[in-house]
Amino acid sequence: MIKIVKRDQPSKAIFFFTPVLAIFLTLIAGGIIFYILGFKPFEALKFFFIVPIADKYGFSELLLKATPLCLIAIGLSFCFKSNNWNIGAEGQLTFGAIVSGGVALLFYDQEGFYILPIVILAGAIGGMIYASIPAILKTYFNTNEILVSLMLVYVSKLILDYLVVGPWSNPEGFNFPETRQFSDSARLPLLFEGLRIHAGIFLALAAVVISWFVFYKTYLGFQMKVSGFSLKTAKYAGYKGKKMIILVFLISGACAGLAGVGEITGPIGQLHREVSPDYGFTAIIVAFLGRLHPVGIIFASLVVAITYLGAETAQIFMQIPKYTGQVFQGMILFFLLASDYLLFFKFKFIDSKK
Amino acid sequence: MNTNLKISNVTKIYPGCIANDNVSLEFNSGKIYALLGENGAGKSTLVKILSGVVIPDEGKIYLNKNILKLNSPSDAKKNDIGMVFQHFNLFETLSVFENLIIDSDEQRENLKEKIDTIMKKYNFSVDLDVPVLNLSAGQKQKVEIIRCLIRSPKVLIMDEPTSVLTEQETSELFLSLKKFSEEGILIIYITHKLKEVMQLCDEVAVMRRGKLVSVSQINNENIESLANKMVGQDLKTIKKKKENTSSEQLIKITNLNFKSEDPFETNLVDINFSLNRGECLGIAGISGNGQSELFQVLSGEIISNKNSIEFNKNFIGDLNPQERREYLMAFSPEDRLEQAAIPQMAIFENVALNNFKSSNFFNNGLINESKIKEHSKKIISEFNVNTDNIDLKSQFLSGGNLQKLIIGRELITSPDLLICFNPTWGLDVGAINYIHETLIKINEQNKSIILISTDTDELLKLSDKISVIHRGKLSKIMNAEDVTSEKLGILMGGGN
Repeated sequence: MIKIVKRDQPSKAIFFFTPVLAIFLTLIAGGIIFYILGFKPFEALKFFFIVPIADKYGFSELLLKATPLCLIAIGLSFCFKSNNWNIGAEGQLTFGAIVSGGVALLFYDQEGFYILPIVILAGAIGGMIYASIPAILKTYFNTNEILVSLMLVYVSKLILDYLVVGPWSNPEGFNFPETRQFSDSARLPLLFEGLRIHAGIFLALAAVVISWFVFYKTYLGFQMKVSGFSLKTAKYAGYKGKKMIILVFLISGACAGLAGVGEITGPIGQLHREVSPDYGFTAIIVAFLGRLHPVGIIFASLVVAITYLGAETAQIFMQIPKYTGQVFQGMILFFLLASDYLLFFKFKFIDSKK
Repeated sequence: MNTNLKISNVTKIYPGCIANDNVSLEFNSGKIYALLGENGAGKSTLVKILSGVVIPDEGKIYLNKNILKLNSPSDAKKNDIGMVFQHFNLFETLSVFENLIIDSDEQRENLKEKIDTIMKKYNFSVDLDVPVLNLSAGQKQKVEIIRCLIRSPKVLIMDEPTSVLTEQETSELFLSLKKFSEEGILIIYITHKLKEVMQLCDEVAVMRRGKLVSVSQINNENIESLANKMVGQDLKTIKKKKENTSSEQLIKITNLNFKSEDPFETNLVDINFSLNRGECLGIAGISGNGQSELFQVLSGEIISNKNSIEFNKNFIGDLNPQERREYLMAFSPEDRLEQAAIPQMAIFENVALNNFKSSNFFNNGLINESKIKEHSKKIISEFNVNTDNIDLKSQFLSGGNLQKLIIGRELITSPDLLICFNPTWGLDVGAINYIHETLIKINEQNKSIILISTDTDELLKLSDKISVIHRGKLSKIMNAEDVTSEKLGILMGGGN
C-alpha cells in the first residue's frame, strides 16, 4: 500500500529534482499529445527537442532565445524572492525597446563608439520607468501590482504599435509598420560570422553573476529573503519596505528593458510591431522552473528556449501550428506546480499485510 | 443514565515523537475530569483521538462497553461525543442561529425551540440574530457549547476553554460545566492551568511526554503536587524582590492615538503612561483589545506622531524599529513563528534580524557571516538555547528554545527597555520559569520592561505597575501590590 505522508522538511535534493521531474512529465505528456494527433511520438519529440539544436546554427538560435528569457527571469527573481508579483515584464521589455529604439533612431545616420552604450542605457531606463509605475502605485496607493503590471503590458504594446505605424515609421518604408534600420554603431555586435547570437548574452551572464552576489552576499539580498518569507518579520526588523519594493521593481524593469534592447539592436536592427514573442511572460515560467536561483535560471532558460525552436521546426516539418510551443510551456508550468506537491509530501510504501 | 468512557492502550506515533504511549483511562459520568499536562504532553492528541480527528495507531475506545469506531469527527458526533476546541470553529460573518443549525439536518423550527430551551435552562444569553464576529470570546464559546448541547451529548470535551476568557466569564463557564455534570454529561476538561483543576474538577489525570503519569482524586492533591507531576521536577518558585526602583524616567507616552483602516483591528485611544528605569509595567487585557496594535506602535512597526513617545529624553515616535533599536529599545513580539523569527531560516540568520549598528552584521551592504555566527554562539551559550548548531533551521527548535533565542537576541545588546508581548505563550513550565527569571534579572540591572500579556498570573508575578487595556484604552496605572486578579478581571471585562 502506498501512503502519502507529510515531509518534516523539504530536502535540498527534492527542491531541484522536481523541476527535472516536471520536464520529464512534460515530455511524456507531449508524446501522448503527438500520438493522438497522429504522429509517431518519439519522432515528433525528436523534431521538437533535438533537431532544432543539432547543428551550430541551431545552437546559436537556442542561446539567442535563452538570452532574453534568462535576463528577464533574473530580474523577476528579485521581485518574486521579496514577495512582489511583477507580471508585467513583457510591458517593461516593450517600453525599454521603445525608449532605446527611439534613441537609436536619433543616431540613425551617425556612427560612433558612444552610441551603443547610450542605446543600452536608454533601454534599461525605459524598463525602469515602466516598472516604477506599478511599484509606486503599490507603495503609495495600495494597488495590486499583479493587475497594474499586467495591464500596462497592453498599454506598452499599443504605444509601440502607434509609433511604428505613425510618427516613427520609416519614411522610405512603403508604409510597412516598422522604423528605419539603426546605424551599425547602435547594434549589438554579432559574435560569429553567419550566426545570429549577439553580445547581449554577456548582459545576461553579467546579470546572473551580479544577482547571485546580491542574493547571497549582501544585506539587500538578506532583506529580500526575509521579506519573501514574512512581511511581518521584515516590518518588525525595521526594513524600509517601500524602498525595497521600488528597488526590486526597478531592477526587474531594467533587466526586462535590456532584454528589449537585445531584441531590437541584435539581429533585427529596427523597431517593429512584434519585438518579443511573449518573452516577458514566458520568463515567469523560467524563473520558477529555475527555482529563483541564478544558476537554475540559466538551465531553465535553455530548456524553455528549446520549446520556441521546437515549435518552429515542428511547424515546418510536421505542419503543426507553432503555438504548440506555448502548449509545452504551459505543460512545464503545470507539471512543475503539480510536482511541487512532493516538496511537502512524500510517498511511503507500507507493508500491506499489517 | 450512566455513561462510561474507556480508553484502552492507545498509542499514537508521529515521526520523531510518541504523542500517546500506551494510554489507558476510564471516565464515568457525574464527575468532571481534568486532563492536565504541559504543551506537547499529548493531551491534545488524546482528545483528537476521542473526537475522531486523529486515528490512533493502536488501542481501542469503548463507550458503555461498546467498542467505538472513530474514523472522523462525524463519527464522534454520532456517538454523542461533543467537543469544544480552543480555537472556535465558527463562521464569523454568519449569525449565531445560522452557525448553530449549519451542521444539523433537523428542521429549523424544532431547532429554534430546542435552542431556546437550552438557553433558558442554563441561563445563557446570546442574541441569535447577530453575526458571530460581534460576540465576545465568552459568548462565542457559549455558541460552541450550545451547538454541542443540541445533540444532547453523553460526553463533552473542553480543550483549554479559559485561555480567552475573563475571570467572570471563567466562573460562569465553571458553573455551567458543573450543571452539565449534575445532569449526567461526562465532562473532560483539558488544561495546563493548575488552579482551574483544583477549582473545578473531581478527578485529575496528568500526562507527561505522551505517557499517563497519574490518576488521582482532587482531594488528595494540591497545586504544588500537581505541578510537580506535570513538570516532573521540583519547581523553584520565583518571586520578584521588591526593591526601591530609581525615579529616573525612561519612557513617556503622551496622547498616543492610532486609528486603523482595518475593521478587524482595534483603535488606540489617548494612551498615556510613563515608566522609570528598573521598572516593569504590565499591561493586562483579553486578547484582541488593542495589545497587538499597542505593541506595534511602541516598536515602531506602526509609526506615530514624533512627540508622542519620549524615550531617554529623545522624541522617537516617528522612527521605525531598526532606528529605535539604536536608542536601546528591544522588542519581542507575540508571534514567534511568523514575526519574531523565520522558521525556514537558520538560527544565525534569525539572529541577524536584530541588526544593531555596532554589532557590524552588515558592512557596506555586505553580509558579515562570521560576525553574525560568533554573535549567535554567544547568545546560545548565554541564554541556554539547547543546541550547538547555529546552521540549524530554527523550525527545529522547540517553542521554549526559540523564545530563548529571541529574548537572547534582543537582550544581548543590553537595551534600556524591553517590550515583550506574551513572551511565555504556549511554553512549558520549565521555559516559562527561565523567561521569567531572565525578565526579573534585567529589571534588577536597572533596565525596564513593558510586558503586554494575557496571562494574569505572569503579570502579577513580574510587574511593578499594572494597567489594563480594554477596547484600545488603558486603565489607570496601578501599583502591582494593590492589585488582585479579581480586580484585573473586572477591568479586563470593561468594568470599573
